[in-house]
Amino acid sequence: CDEGFDEVNTNPDASTSIEAEYMFTKAMYDALNNSTGTVYEFSAGGFVQHFATYLEVPGLGDKYVYTSGAYPYAYFNGAYVDGVNEISKVLNAVEDDPDEVNKYAIALIWQAYIFHRITDLYGMIPYSEATTAYASSNFAPVYDTQQTIYLSMLSNLESAISSFDASKESFNEGDLLYAGDTSKWEKFANSLMLRLAMRLTKVDPTTAQQWAQKAIAGGVIEDETDDAIIDYVGGQVINSNPISFQLRNNNYSASNQGTSNTEGGKYSDTFIGYLKDSDDPRLNSIAAVWVDGVQVTDTDLQQGMPNGLNNRPDNFASLSEPNLSTILSLSSSLMVIGSSEMNLLLAEASIRGWESGDAKSYYDKAIHSSMNTMGRLYGTEASISEEAIEQYIATKPFPTGFDAQMEHIHTQFWVSVFPDEIEVYSNWRRTNYPVLTPVNVTGNLTGGTIPRRLTYPPGEISVNSENYNQAISAQGVDNFTTRIWWDVAE
Amino acid sequence: QGDAISLDIKNQKLSKVLEDIEQHSDYNFVYKLNDINTDRPISLQVNKQKIERVLKMLFDDSDVNYRIIDTQVFLKRKSSIISEPLTNTTENKNFQTLIKGFIKDESGTPLPGITVMEKGTANGTSTDFDGNYEITVPENAVLVFSGVGFKTQEVPVNSKTSIDIQMMNDVEELESVVVTALGIKKEERALTYAVSEVDGESFTQAKEVNLADALSGKIAGVSVSNLSTGAGGSSRVTIRGNTSLSGDNQPLYVINGMPMDNTTLGGSASTSGGGFNIDHGDGTGGINPDDIETISVLKGATAAALYGSRASNGAIIITTKKGTLNSGIGIEFNSSFTIDSPMDLTDWQYEYGMGNGGEKPINQSEAVTWGRRNWGAPIDGSTFIAFDGLEHPYTAKKDNIKNFYNTGSTFINTIALSGGGETTSYRFSVSDTDNKGVIPNNTFNRRIFSLNMSSKIGEKLDLEGLAQFNTSKAYNKASAGDATGNPNWVNMLANTVDVRWLDPGYDEQGNEIQWNETPYASNPYFVVNRFQNKEDKERYLGQFALTYHLLENLSVKGSVSKDFTDFSFTAILPTGTQYTNNAAGEYHGFDVTVSELNSMLTANYNADLTDNINLGAVAGGNIRKYENKQTSYDGTQFIIPFFYSFTNLETSTAIPNTRRLTTNSLFASLDLSYKNFLYLNATAREDWFSTLTASDGSDSDNNIFYPSVGAGLIFTEVLNLPQWFSYGKLRGSWAQVGGGLPDPYTLNESYTMIPSSGQPLQQVTQVSGQRLLANSNLRPYTSTTFELGLETKMFQNRLGLDVAVYKKTTTDDIVNAQIPVTTGYEYTYFNVGKVENKGIELLLSGKPIKNENFVWEASYNMAYNKNEVIQLAEGINTISVANSVGNWAEIHHEVGEPFGIIKGYSILRDENGEIVFDTSSGLPMKSELKKIGNSVAPWSMGFNNTFRYKNLSLNILVDGKFGNDIFSVLNVYATRFGLSKRTLEGRVDGLSLSGVDMQGNPYSNYIPSTDIRNYYQNSKNYSDQFIYDGSFVKLRQVILSYNIPVEKIKLFKVQAASLSFVARNLLTLYSKTDNFDPESSYTNSNAQGFESFSQPRTRSYGLNLKFNF
Repeated sequence: CDEGFDEVNTNPDASTSIEAEYMFTKAMYDALNNSTGTVYEFSAGGFVQHFATYLEVPGLGDKYVYTSGAYPYAYFNGAYVDGVNEISKVLNAVEDDPDEVNKYAIALIWQAYIFHRITDLYGMIPYSEATTAYASSNFAPVYDTQQTIYLSMLSNLESAISSFDASKESFNEGDLLYAGDTSKWEKFANSLMLRLAMRLTKVDPTTAQQWAQKAIAGGVIEDETDDAIIDYVGGQVINSNPISFQLRNNNYSASNQGTSNTEGGKYSDTFIGYLKDSDDPRLNSIAAVWVDGVQVTDTDLQQGMPNGLNNRPDNFASLSEPNLSTILSLSSSLMVIGSSEMNLLLAEASIRGWESGDAKSYYDKAIHSSMNTMGRLYGTEASISEEAIEQYIATKPFPTGFDAQMEHIHTQFWVSVFPDEIEVYSNWRRTNYPVLTPVNVTGNLTGGTIPRRLTYPPGEISVNSENYNQAISAQGVDNFTTRIWWDVAE
Repeated sequence: QGDAISLDIKNQKLSKVLEDIEQHSDYNFVYKLNDINTDRPISLQVNKQKIERVLKMLFDDSDVNYRIIDTQVFLKRKSSIISEPLTNTTENKNFQTLIKGFIKDESGTPLPGITVMEKGTANGTSTDFDGNYEITVPENAVLVFSGVGFKTQEVPVNSKTSIDIQMMNDVEELESVVVTALGIKKEERALTYAVSEVDGESFTQAKEVNLADALSGKIAGVSVSNLSTGAGGSSRVTIRGNTSLSGDNQPLYVINGMPMDNTTLGGSASTSGGGFNIDHGDGTGGINPDDIETISVLKGATAAALYGSRASNGAIIITTKKGTLNSGIGIEFNSSFTIDSPMDLTDWQYEYGMGNGGEKPINQSEAVTWGRRNWGAPIDGSTFIAFDGLEHPYTAKKDNIKNFYNTGSTFINTIALSGGGETTSYRFSVSDTDNKGVIPNNTFNRRIFSLNMSSKIGEKLDLEGLAQFNTSKAYNKASAGDATGNPNWVNMLANTVDVRWLDPGYDEQGNEIQWNETPYASNPYFVVNRFQNKEDKERYLGQFALTYHLLENLSVKGSVSKDFTDFSFTAILPTGTQYTNNAAGEYHGFDVTVSELNSMLTANYNADLTDNINLGAVAGGNIRKYENKQTSYDGTQFIIPFFYSFTNLETSTAIPNTRRLTTNSLFASLDLSYKNFLYLNATAREDWFSTLTASDGSDSDNNIFYPSVGAGLIFTEVLNLPQWFSYGKLRGSWAQVGGGLPDPYTLNESYTMIPSSGQPLQQVTQVSGQRLLANSNLRPYTSTTFELGLETKMFQNRLGLDVAVYKKTTTDDIVNAQIPVTTGYEYTYFNVGKVENKGIELLLSGKPIKNENFVWEASYNMAYNKNEVIQLAEGINTISVANSVGNWAEIHHEVGEPFGIIKGYSILRDENGEIVFDTSSGLPMKSELKKIGNSVAPWSMGFNNTFRYKNLSLNILVDGKFGNDIFSVLNVYATRFGLSKRTLEGRVDGLSLSGVDMQGNPYSNYIPSTDIRNYYQNSKNYSDQFIYDGSFVKLRQVILSYNIPVEKIKLFKVQAASLSFVARNLLTLYSKTDNFDPESSYTNSNAQGFESFSQPRTRSYGLNLKFNF
């Protein structure tokens, strides 16, 4: 009486096997398109005062209030069900095949990339038991300490690098960064290792130094030719630059003309003010104001909106916002890890004495690299001439003294790594640079200090409660002021 | 209708004649199936005769006695002696005397057809039409008076010449026949489980657009959630509580013996969705109440065992009206018009007006930012600037609800033709429903065409067919849940703003005019004037059944039914919608076809094994094939503004989704009766589920066998009870029902390619947009019910009591559980749930007053169901089913608690009861997530009264539910925005708060009056402040009817006519909710317990006119 049932119960629109490359491409997209509105713009991007909004609901980043919505936890939810799960599917699909070692190694590197962003925002997270429900029926993943996660990611990167075998197959065009080029992936892995290593300078300088030196010795992305960039073709939403797409969706559009931005957003006055004061040519690449129905990039017209406003400012319509035809173009490119960031970290390693190269050279190269990639990422309209770059570098002498040097390096990081707000926010928490003045509005949840983390989703509270409770008892109250492991107070 | 009967019958079975009389008059026949030979051929021609006359013609020369009580005609076989030829005995020739007499009933009415016998002889006669008799007997004889429904009396003649008798009722005879599973008619007394039958007539006057809603309050243990989603919405009916944690928990609907599809098209509305979170309606919305003969509700699992797993929540058996052989053309016309007026239940504060920090807005920018804030200055009649930039009086605007919503109307017309020739009968009906909603521009139109035919082909073959075609269109149904695109957010307008200032909601360019700080809270006029959503539904229901009578008591029946629906939905978020990308709008839609095909073959056997034992047996098999094919169309940004086509979008996707499933079944049923007091019933069924079959062909546990047994004892037949105790039955049953998995393809993980304009992309297949973790270890679940019942009738049928107690346990329940996202998935199915329902149902019915002109009939039903979730998955204590907007409250199933508790937060207090403050924010901390209420009402009741005086009748139905809670999102926002009266505290002097800090040190905080918004804004974190007791008692229905005395109208051959004033949902007699109606549910899913800006409840009243020609 059940003849033919196996066929009836087969989904005609789905396949039964994983195509590792196609799933990997999806995992790459998903690692970067997660919560680009709720987290990039309205949380992290506000905390570091790149963005501002006069509204309350999206005001977590701007004024540390939280009324409703998924702002504190959208990233957490989105990360696991998409990127984390997909990359673990890819790893499972290729792990037993000795011919697929390169795919396995690349997927392992990408897994570390996905995880470090989650733990940097939340602290303790499920890591070792994450997404093991399908393979081993674990429906309540335990939360690992951030220390465990960091050490595991670092050692995974190391083992991935050592397992590359140029004679074996790799991913093809489905690898949106390097089309399967294992030597480039080695640099990417070393770069991520350096990023993770430097993150530990406050909490464990010894470990930080050890891994930083290992990464530098292995070779990080120092030149623009090795930049990890994803190009977007536009068309389907998933094929569009996710930051552009979401920011357009939330605020900035030709129809709004700067006046009726849905979430009341603009560039922060802190950000635009700094770029303007320092005659930074990148200002004209990324910012514009609306004049007679068109966006203009003239420096003297640019002005940001102060953070912490509760009412719409009278001059709202004329404030700076992201340029729709450059940084908000749906087919603009996205920097995943670039030479500018690496050179800044090398400069820091140098002033810490962990690296013999010249800090000033790294610093200059970082600026050069950042400005040079404007055109590469956002189109010719955003490109900066060599002359302008030289001129800017000339006005930015590298100071002496560790603190001053750190301030210069990481203020530059704040500009160069924009709009990778999760990384900028992590770097700011580690270094405290640039020095930002928090706002203190009525009803804020942090006593007028910039949040140190985001909070866990209600779903974890309600259906993974035991592990959640263990995590908060180990890490501290699940609020915006609790510091995560590597973010020790000074 | 009425009491005049016209018949023109040639050589038809008696059963057909009785059916015909039932259809064309108010009379119903009651008899035992085996007592009366209903196959006896009859030819009869009468024109507008009284029933008494007709009965006399039908039965005077037969072996049947009859008796009329009100509109019921009781038939009983005469004792065999009567049918023998009358012969006088020679021994008693002497002293013969003629006795004359008059026989009446207890109320003095003359009784025809009473048998008068000389005891011990075959000498006898019966009373004539006027209750008179004459008989010649010896003067020492004893007369025996008997009649169906009466106690037999013996009276010695003692030389009298006149004997008048008053007959006493013998109510044990009063029996009716009900329709049970597979359309099998059974005597009520033979049932071993609870069945409640409602006459179709009771749905045809005060109509609900969705038939299922009309069941509200009528039957003990049947709970109807009246959804406030307007005409064309769906219904939620649960019988004896929720049995399965993930099933829909709704009963199976069966039309004329075949299951129908009751899918909520496109899925149920979500609890927190926005934009176009619309209730698309379900299958019961496609039934014309005027077509219904009866509705039987089979509550227990025994009753449902023959329908299999889908009936584990009970079954609702609908029997439609049919035509009659050899009858003329009958025409029924039923028209009703009701107006639906929205109720404004808001009771806001009108002391402080729109504004912030104690200030009213002084410019447009402030007015927009503060569009929903009522933290302004005292309302003093001065002026202020509103969102439109204009100066307006700063006065309380209390009529915004009245001004925004329309008075709706519902116009329903049905015309039916019925009749029959020698071998074929038919009934054809057309019904049109035209509804204008209370939401401006919301309309619903439905037409139902229905043809019911039955035919005799030769001696042994019967053919029956039903064809139904429905078409319905709905425009601009309102969204509920979140604010986006939800016109009901008009409730959150500031209290000094007149809603009409927002009209028409858009500027010259067609762009939405923003009235508050966030475009996500849509301009309600823009939504009703510019948003478009359209539903187009066509449904075809076809059934054919062929019965072959192999032997006199053995027949074979094959039937096929197909229920096919083609539904398309489009929602246009128009150009100019501020919250859409580039304000360029969005397109969402889907086309879905749903088909359910059932093929069934049964053999029926019925025989008297001995004089005392009767056997009935049914065996058969069924194949159910279900298919749901949906293509979803979604896109954003209309390229050419205001041109709303799927072809005109910047980005778009079209994604197909097919769901197929098959269930095969074999079943058998056995009924045994001993004399007329002991009844036994047993059933068995085995189901095979495709959804539990591994798609890789590996062995899986996809079948389940389940039995049931039941017994009924009419103890008044065997015990010697006082005379007033006329009827009593004890029944008991034990039954199991097995169930499968509602969703296909969830046993094995699969992978889907998704639309990409770049490299190919593959992802884990999502089920209904959810990341569902495949689980290959699923097996069928079992629900076991034990039930005991007691039925009694007392005081000559004036008082009836029906009590049932039951315990229903679902084991191995397949649970769709939310799992932590950190697993990589959001939901999975577990096979481990255990849910128990225990309950009691009570029905008390009677006729407190009954005399010649005035009758009061009353029935009161009450049910209590205690539900407990006993077990979830290993290591899982709670599963989350749904969450409110803002995640402020969640619906959970939790071990040790009833199904569907509401969880949320409260203010955190330490062990001394001191409030614990977060010193960073200066506000109270919130507790951990905990239970704050129960979403399902354990108690329900209904009280139905009918008063008849001559041609007038008045029906009043009161119903209520008790013991549930509702989390009100409306009140959260009303508190955040300062509309709520609770926000008046602290407006003048601020608020002083004190308690302890997180370390337990004393802490105090003063909130100045200018900052109190912040304090109340934060109260959303303490969800228990917005929990309301959901208990209510409502005056559900009032019908005042006048039966027009058609005898006096010679025109048009009208046979019956009535005019009624009808009203539904007239008054709330008891309720504890503030600012919203306790029946504000907006989804028919398991996630009940939230109120979230659905459309207002309406009070409906109007007229109903019925004519029969």
